[in-house]
Amino acid sequence: MKVKLLFIFYFLLGVNLFAQQIATTKIIFNPVFNSVPIIIENKSYRLNQNDSIIFETLRFYVSDFQLLKNGTVVFTEPNSFHLIDSDDKNSLQFLLSKKMNIECDEVRFNLGIDSITNVSGAMGGDLDPTKGMYWTWQSGYINLMLEGRSKLCTSRNNEFQFHLGGYQFPYNAIQQIDLKLKTSETIEINFDLKKFFDSIKLAEQNHVMSPNEQAIIFSKSIAKCFYINQ
Amino acid sequence: MMKQTFFVIVGLFFSAFIISTKLFTVPEHWPKPVYDFTKNQLTENKILLGRVLFYEPALSRNNIISCASCHSPFSAFTHIDHALSHGINDSIGNRNSPALMNLAWEKSFMWDGAVNNLDMQPLSPISNMAEMGSSIKSVVEKLNASKMYRRLFYNAFEDSLATGEKTLKALSQFLLTLVSANSKYDSAMNHETNFTAQEENGYKLFQKNCSSCHKEPLFTTNDFANNGLSLDPFLKDIGRTKITLNSDDSFKFKIPTLRNIEYTYPYMHDGRFKRLAEVINHYTNDIHSSSTLATQLREPILLSSNEKVDIIAFLLTLSDKSFVFNKNFQYPKEVFFQ
Repeated sequence: MKVKLLFIFYFLLGVNLFAQQIATTKIIFNPVFNSVPIIIENKSYRLNQNDSIIFETLRFYVSDFQLLKNGTVVFTEPNSFHLIDSDDKNSLQFLLSKKMNIECDEVRFNLGIDSITNVSGAMGGDLDPTKGMYWTWQSGYINLMLEGRSKLCTSRNNEFQFHLGGYQFPYNAIQQIDLKLKTSETIEINFDLKKFFDSIKLAEQNHVMSPNEQAIIFSKSIAKCFYINQ
Repeated sequence: MMKQTFFVIVGLFFSAFIISTKLFTVPEHWPKPVYDFTKNQLTENKILLGRVLFYEPALSRNNIISCASCHSPFSAFTHIDHALSHGINDSIGNRNSPALMNLAWEKSFMWDGAVNNLDMQPLSPISNMAEMGSSIKSVVEKLNASKMYRRLFYNAFEDSLATGEKTLKALSQFLLTLVSANSKYDSAMNHETNFTAQEENGYKLFQKNCSSCHKEPLFTTNDFANNGLSLDPFLKDIGRTKITLNSDDSFKFKIPTLRNIEYTYPYMHDGRFKRLAEVINHYTNDIHSSSTLATQLREPILLSSNEKVDIIAFLLTLSDKSFVFNKNFQYPKEVFFQ
């Protein structure tokens, strides 16, 4: 009997320890336009009083997730690369697996892929080139792919195409994003593209397809579209 | 017990060493390879898979063009007689296909250095509409639908599922084995044979006039240079500037190796010269001056016609027959026709 009790005790202790070891934080991305969820192809969004916009592609890499407390890094996700595709619900959320429950008040991540990864050869998982987020005419990951249509664009089929990337100086497009947190169990990150489209002149600027100055300006502007509801 | 463990470890170490030296050897006096083998350790089955993929026409959209179409082993893996290579639907590319050898030592790929790692190089021809006109995604789908490839992937990776990463790494493995270091020049350097008097004189002239860019033993520095070619008015190829957007790189192209140059005609990034004599004459008589011209070419290179012939005699000592006829590099008919 004693042995049995001891066994149960150890079992519960083990479960408890195990539970601590797999403490997780859920990260959720909400791609929205003016606070309305972005749905690919089927929905049109009001850009201003006269013009509207349709999204065909919104895919982007987020990488190097870190959690901070009072400005100090308390958790770094190993091998941290996630491809977010607004057309694939499963990609919009993932878990950060931590060794134990850590208190934090800030999340930090990169929009895009760092330069070392960009020169390290073929990768698998979300970084596999079959994901379509790697340039073929020259090396480098596409950090963010944003495509759609608006009557404002004088281009063919009124299309706009932004393939933002670049890992080499002076056209390094990766952006670090820091957001303050209220709760650390589930981190819901909103990504409102209205802010970006308000900052550009879509009629003239509807085509960025290679690492250049425009790609850097756009990447900086898009990085400002991430926020957490306080 | 300790002793036994020690011997097992030492034994394992040496057997691993023997296998790896068998699959890839750094020739004596050569620099350390650039390619990071720790991220893609060579195995026989992975090399074989890469070799089969290299000869696989299903890499192209219409299942007609393989890597070997423009990189044939008998011409040191280039496309002889074609100034510009052609791909699917008879479309013509805009550059001469480079010869493939000693790729483990290359820092970047393509004439303009557009590609930063050997693994990623195949993406370019696979996707280019004037070459294979396909995509890595479509290639991987085709491979996964093939019983033969499921078996080859299983043998190589212990998992029959093809992915972009595995496909590219297997191709790299085969390409890395394409080492050419067994020419008459190499034998002469190892004192196993002697140059003729003409070759010897050509070698001296080469060292004086050519070797700062075509540096031994790889016969390239792997850097980029403007070698004074006039702009082709049809192609209007600005070279490396397309990649760096820096005007200081205008008309600069990758310095190619001269190994096996006898087999790799025509010459230059656009294949404008058919014969080696034309190449030498370009350097002595026809340098087109511009702000980015290589400093080594700013002073004229003076060579008599006899000296030119001697340089060519030397260049022919860079031919490596054991490389172009190496049966491990040829079409793997035992896999395709079993």
